[in-house]
Amino acid sequence: MNRDINNTEVSKNVSFFMALPAFVWLLIFLYIPLGVIVALSFIRKSVVSIWPDFTWAHYLTFFDSLYYSVIVRSLTLSIITTAVCLLCAYPIAYFLALHAQKWKNVLLYLLALPFGVNFVILSYAWFFLLEKNGFINNILTSLGIISSPLQLLNTQFAIYVGMIYCYLPFMVLPIYAVLEKLDIRLIDASLDLGATRFTTFWRVVFPQSIPGVSTGFFMVFIPSFGEYVIPTLMGGGKFMYVGSLISHYFSVLRNLPLGSAFTVASSMVLLIVALFFYWRFRRMVS
Amino acid sequence: MRNIRLKHVNKAFGDDVILENLSLTIPGGSFFALLGPSGSGKTTLLRLIAGFETVDSGEIYIGDHNITHIPINKRNINTVFQHYALFPHMNVFENVAYGLVVKGIAKGIIEQKVRRTLKKVHLERHIYKPIQRLSGGQQQRVALARAIINEPDVLLLDEPLAALDLKLRERMLVELIDLQSELKTTFVYVTHDQFEALTVADYMAIMNYDGEIEQVGTPKDIYEFPISSFVAKFVGSTNIFKGVLQEKNGGFTVEVPELGCFEVAMSKRRKFDIASTLLMSLRPEKIEINKKEQEGFANHLTGTVEAIIYYGRSTQYTVKLKNGFKVSVFEQNEEHFPHEVIDYDDVVHLYWQKENVVLLER
Repeated sequence: MNRDINNTEVSKNVSFFMALPAFVWLLIFLYIPLGVIVALSFIRKSVVSIWPDFTWAHYLTFFDSLYYSVIVRSLTLSIITTAVCLLCAYPIAYFLALHAQKWKNVLLYLLALPFGVNFVILSYAWFFLLEKNGFINNILTSLGIISSPLQLLNTQFAIYVGMIYCYLPFMVLPIYAVLEKLDIRLIDASLDLGATRFTTFWRVVFPQSIPGVSTGFFMVFIPSFGEYVIPTLMGGGKFMYVGSLISHYFSVLRNLPLGSAFTVASSMVLLIVALFFYWRFRRMVS
Repeated sequence: MRNIRLKHVNKAFGDDVILENLSLTIPGGSFFALLGPSGSGKTTLLRLIAGFETVDSGEIYIGDHNITHIPINKRNINTVFQHYALFPHMNVFENVAYGLVVKGIAKGIIEQKVRRTLKKVHLERHIYKPIQRLSGGQQQRVALARAIINEPDVLLLDEPLAALDLKLRERMLVELIDLQSELKTTFVYVTHDQFEALTVADYMAIMNYDGEIEQVGTPKDIYEFPISSFVAKFVGSTNIFKGVLQEKNGGFTVEVPELGCFEVAMSKRRKFDIASTLLMSLRPEKIEINKKEQEGFANHLTGTVEAIIYYGRSTQYTVKLKNGFKVSVFEQNEEHFPHEVIDYDDVVHLYWQKENVVLLER
């Protein structure tokens, strides 16, 4: 009995020390910079005084239509990307987990393969496909569907294609992970009890995959809201998203307080929307 | 009650032939046990009846209704699975109600039926509990309730008690028997455990390693009159002697090489030709073991005790005969202080009557 108690105390201490480096790392590289950004967002830009002057003014600028529309555009992008990824990923994950059998590992490897390549390089591959004289335009013209090449590159369409392409594996893998663990005998049981395949999916398979759907949802939704590289490359820099606007503030305008304020404000919007979805998922599970 | 009939059923998975030209009639309204060793194809047979698998050829009937090509969810057959296969995201009520919910039955009726069914399996107090909070025996009961609430023509049970401990298993067996006699539904019970099969079944079928049905009959029939040495060995335990049938002074004997002649009774059920080679099956509990010579027995052997296993209610002796054969003998431990203690290496006499032997072709 005594030994057990000592053991748990020792293991508590050990786990504390084991968690320490990660905590220090997060503190230095996440929480402190985050604090700096929040602090910066309240500072009036001034060259005169040494002691900073606090103001709310930066936040008030967001009721400007420009910033507002950028946030809405980013939100639309991330919601549509997430939704399309979910619709495409679920059948893929379902097939991989329940029907791929001996091909499973090969297919999973192929799915994860793009992770090994930088997206900048991948997006150049998309350039070849989407160009005026690219693969898609050539095929469509030679089939006679279109008479002159379409403008595909540097459009919102290209951005969506790039986003969905890039984020799809992040949706497939968590859903695959839960479906892979699904007891297929439950499907047998449901059919045995008289349910159709459709009912079985909605009443037995899908409810049990919600944790995976939820994980995939946030793994796509949250980073895609702030995505900077894909909209810039695929959209040719013509469309302003949250990520590009923040970068614009910091590196072009060099207006750190305003950039910080925009960062904090857009993060808040993201947090509220994410919490809403989190709450929805929680309700679906219980 | 409608019989289940399987006619010339064939089933193979790839090159692996599981069932070949199998025909079987399961009497309607009976508690039917399908007993066989692992890998005998009994679960495949069950899955064919349920509709999880389709036959390669052959037909399955319930009464006069050919269900061979009816999909699983349209068959009025329900299964209790080996590992229960309860829906983990639903509570007891939702699990039991599932079959009715997917058929679109009105909520009020479902509620009523669930309560009534849970009462039958003594779970009415756990109606809204999550599945994870139930014990193994309770989960088993939920699985049972979930199946019987649909009032199936046939209830299939695939080794339903395999995961339970011995005492609970014995209790569940009794409950299953009660439930079956109350519902009058045909129960088809698959097991590799001869004790379970003998306990529950009105009729049982014994399957061998080749997926063939060796024998169908009542438990008593099968135990007392096995048709082959496989059945004799698989249901209970037995001693098998190989010999040649002879006729002597109006009676019959079997001459076993090196051991001598033994009187046997020819049963009316099966006739054997004189001078044919056959097997003699002698159950361990039908042998008298004694250190002193006895009178009044038709057959006699002597040997030395090689092993003794004490089981509480009985003791098993392994007796080595002069030719090296080993014979297993059960003796009831009737006396608190036995007048005669048999020990290792004792010379003992084994006696049995001619009616105690069953003659087998193979």
